[in-house]
Amino acid sequence: MRKSIQIGSSISNSNYLIALTVFLLCVAGLMALYSASLHVEASFFKKVIGKQLLWMILGVITMFAIFLLQKKFLFDGAFIFYWIGIAMVVLPYFFGSSAASTNRWFVLGPFHFQPSEFMKILVIVAVARYLSGSDLIISDFKSLIMPLLLALLPMGIVLKQPDLGTSIIYFMLVFPMLIWAGARIYHLFIVLAPVISIITAFNFYSFFIWVLILIVVLYFSKERIWVAIILFVFNLSLGFLTPVLWNRLKPYQQNRIMTLFNVNADPLGSGYQVIQSQVAIGSGGLFGKGIGNGTQTHLKFLPEQHNDFIFSVIGEEYGFVGVIVVLFLFFILISLLISVAYRLRDRFSSLVVIGVMSVLFFHVFINIAMTVGLLPVTGLPLPFLSYGGSFIISCFLMVGLVFNISLERRR
Amino acid sequence: MFYLQNNATSLHRNLLILGVFTLFLILGIRLYQLQIVDYKRFAGIAEANRIRVVTQPAPRGIIYDRNGQIIVDNKSQYNVNLIPFEVDKNDSGYSLLSHILNIPESEIRRRVKKNWRGRFLPLRIAEDIDFETLTELEERRFELPGVMYSLEPIRSFPSRANLSHVLGYLREINKEDLQMIKNYGYRSGDLIGWKGVEREYESILRGKRGFDYVQVNVYGQEVGKVRDRHNVESQFGNDLYLTIDIGLQAYAEQLLEDKKGAAIVMDAKTGEILAIVSKPDYSPGLFSGIVESDVWNELLNDAERPLYDRAIQGTYPPGSTFKIVAVLASLEENILDPETTVRCRGVYKLGRREFKCWKEIGHGRMNLFDAVVNSCNVYFYTLVRKMDVSLWATYAGKFRFGELTKVDLYGESQGILPDEPFLDNKYGKGGWSEGNKLNLVIGQGDLLVTPLQMVRFTGALATHGKLATPHLGLEYMEHGTNRFQRFAFSSADSIRSISASSWEFVEKAMYDVVNSKTGTGRAAKVRGLDVYGKTGTAQNPHGEAHSWFIGYSKYGNRTLAITVLIEHGGSGGGEAAVTARQIFSYCQKNLPKETDVKEVTVR
Repeated sequence: MRKSIQIGSSISNSNYLIALTVFLLCVAGLMALYSASLHVEASFFKKVIGKQLLWMILGVITMFAIFLLQKKFLFDGAFIFYWIGIAMVVLPYFFGSSAASTNRWFVLGPFHFQPSEFMKILVIVAVARYLSGSDLIISDFKSLIMPLLLALLPMGIVLKQPDLGTSIIYFMLVFPMLIWAGARIYHLFIVLAPVISIITAFNFYSFFIWVLILIVVLYFSKERIWVAIILFVFNLSLGFLTPVLWNRLKPYQQNRIMTLFNVNADPLGSGYQVIQSQVAIGSGGLFGKGIGNGTQTHLKFLPEQHNDFIFSVIGEEYGFVGVIVVLFLFFILISLLISVAYRLRDRFSSLVVIGVMSVLFFHVFINIAMTVGLLPVTGLPLPFLSYGGSFIISCFLMVGLVFNISLERRR
Repeated sequence: MFYLQNNATSLHRNLLILGVFTLFLILGIRLYQLQIVDYKRFAGIAEANRIRVVTQPAPRGIIYDRNGQIIVDNKSQYNVNLIPFEVDKNDSGYSLLSHILNIPESEIRRRVKKNWRGRFLPLRIAEDIDFETLTELEERRFELPGVMYSLEPIRSFPSRANLSHVLGYLREINKEDLQMIKNYGYRSGDLIGWKGVEREYESILRGKRGFDYVQVNVYGQEVGKVRDRHNVESQFGNDLYLTIDIGLQAYAEQLLEDKKGAAIVMDAKTGEILAIVSKPDYSPGLFSGIVESDVWNELLNDAERPLYDRAIQGTYPPGSTFKIVAVLASLEENILDPETTVRCRGVYKLGRREFKCWKEIGHGRMNLFDAVVNSCNVYFYTLVRKMDVSLWATYAGKFRFGELTKVDLYGESQGILPDEPFLDNKYGKGGWSEGNKLNLVIGQGDLLVTPLQMVRFTGALATHGKLATPHLGLEYMEHGTNRFQRFAFSSADSIRSISASSWEFVEKAMYDVVNSKTGTGRAAKVRGLDVYGKTGTAQNPHGEAHSWFIGYSKYGNRTLAITVLIEHGGSGGGEAAVTARQIFSYCQKNLPKETDVKEVTVR
């Protein structure tokens, strides 16, 4: 009993730290948005910064609202909520506004909701619910099928919107949860192998290296020989077939796939956005150009600057020092979430926290890697910093869920 | 029920934290690389992004005549340029542009094709648009991304005279030339003096371009000045003063209107050219800016060859005007006593060949003096038989025939002064005979001169041996200091080897050519002015003889030398002499008798 109180109090200490980190990240985001609002002639709450502040307040309110939710209710209803979520994500196809010619939005009065943002939470809960089933044998490969299907369904729907970034998140969030639940790394490797085979197939050398890795892993896997051969041949033929199939596609079909990988249609030719983003960050130097002095930002060379490329604004105006501070805050946040998950005795709660951690982490990594030119532009916002209503509320909701779940025991 | 045991191990936790940390580290390293290692490169790109350098064109210097009348001025012209890439993106771009400029869309597209330099490079689609069009363009600027106008100074020609060949023109610099003169700050697309004075005095007339640094946004729209860079003002070129008297020039041009030929008036003492005409010519206004290729081709293919400067490039046989050379040679070398007479029966027999005098019935008995006044060929045939070609060529050579005059105009011809080596070379040793000599002495045969050489020759006769370098540049006013700088031309060479008595002999004879009752140049006589002259009628294979008149007159401290050539004008005593008289008359009435030597003054 004494021990559990200790654990509880150390978790609540972690929660205070999480709240503080989130607060500091929000401040950093508002500082960057302040720059983007500098030259806008409008009242405060009509500007990006004002609207963002309102969204944040709304986010904090929903964060407290989620405290009313019982964990048991969440656990029992996990799959029902999941299907309701799926329905919500499909709904925009029929009633949605076609903002930016994508079917992401769901209009409810003055609010434009992006159900796909909230769907992430429902996927986390559903996967956590499945993985904490008492009769689950996680070391069995068959146990991986259900969590993957739970992720692939909304992924397929969102991919068609098209929103490549969000659909990648659905897929990715499952893997840390599976690891946390105790799945065999080798199984995860087998699951990811076909995806890697297809991606590497477009370049001979990358495919060659991948095939070598595949052989080595299969050799040491103690897999039955015929299963290993089937897996090898399957991946190999997938790799060989991909270019053939790609070339047989009609140009418009190729284009359709290409646009998928380039959601923020690039107006000025390949890599313009990424180049301008790198220029913005690089020209910031050690200490940055100072608030409101970022030429890349203010002369609009930097695209999507209050949204997907807000990190570049920080890089340009606050320099290396600024981005390292932000990066450090994110690292602290992620680490705190992992340690909370570790200390939670209950498997479901622990997995939900890991799910939240995954979503936040992949958002942070993919977004920043994109702004510095390490990954292609996929259109993912940066948690707590990027402007955007649905996303900021869903981030607060996730943090609220962590608070709720980790403090449940003390109530 | 759902308080199940969490089976996450510390290995799981550490594995995830390690993975997260590694990925964060990769981002950190990448940021270090961008912001610390490559900082300078990216700072440079960001700087180049925001700053656009707008070139301020530099107006060229103004060209004045000797009395300060403007010959060539500058005016501003608004041109419309577009960037194809930007306009192509805009569906209604071309139709809107067509509407504003009032040019059919197909014509705009034709010009885009014609002036194409690249998708992202601006090209010109309209020149010299009026103010209304300009206003509309400016108002609808945001509907027309990629369309811009530029202000360019171009040449204007307010004077009455054309002076086309002298002024020359500007041309867009070509690639090869750019390679050569890159170090002087020229850039592709610059206009450079290509012919005439514009070429010769390029370094003086040329201004220095300025730069404005403008901060632009991603759309290329100006959003303000750049704080930390200072604009460089463009500098005007220096003003050039020519030796031309624009009134005389206009008058002389009018005299030769509808004719083919040349006329030059030069101050014999200084070499200053007061007027220089070559007809047919063209309006210099055609070359005020960049010349359209169809205009250019039309000029090039004109059978009348208006681009050809007959005054300095045209080479003609000088006809009888050249007899003076033989007179001087005879007098100096005592070839024939001037009083010795020769009977002219209208024809001179050399073996079986007959050489005719222009007067078929013959001049009768003539001494040297009479032979000049009456331009008797037979006398000179007789005279030249006693000379060898080298001697004659030596005397012609004293006047630098067959050499460039070094006038400050581009493209001068040097003509041909045949001497023994030349004839040997052309006809083979012994392949030429006395007959060639007979032709040469009356200014025919292989001898070819330019009107400019003839006016220098005339000037030398007028000044008793002073060979001035003909020139058009008088002085220039340094921009900024407003100080006048006079051009220095090599001081006139004197022909010392000819005695005063010979000069005087020629002078008297030339006086009688114009003023005696039988003189061939009677038509050039001007009341109240002593005109000295010599006519020439140059046979040529292309048709009627060219009509020549060379002459001079002294009044006040001036000695004016004149040369008139009318292609196929017939007898020199006719059209050329009449034209010369009109020019002398004009000078008598309108030119100040004293040349005012301009002091170096500060205005």
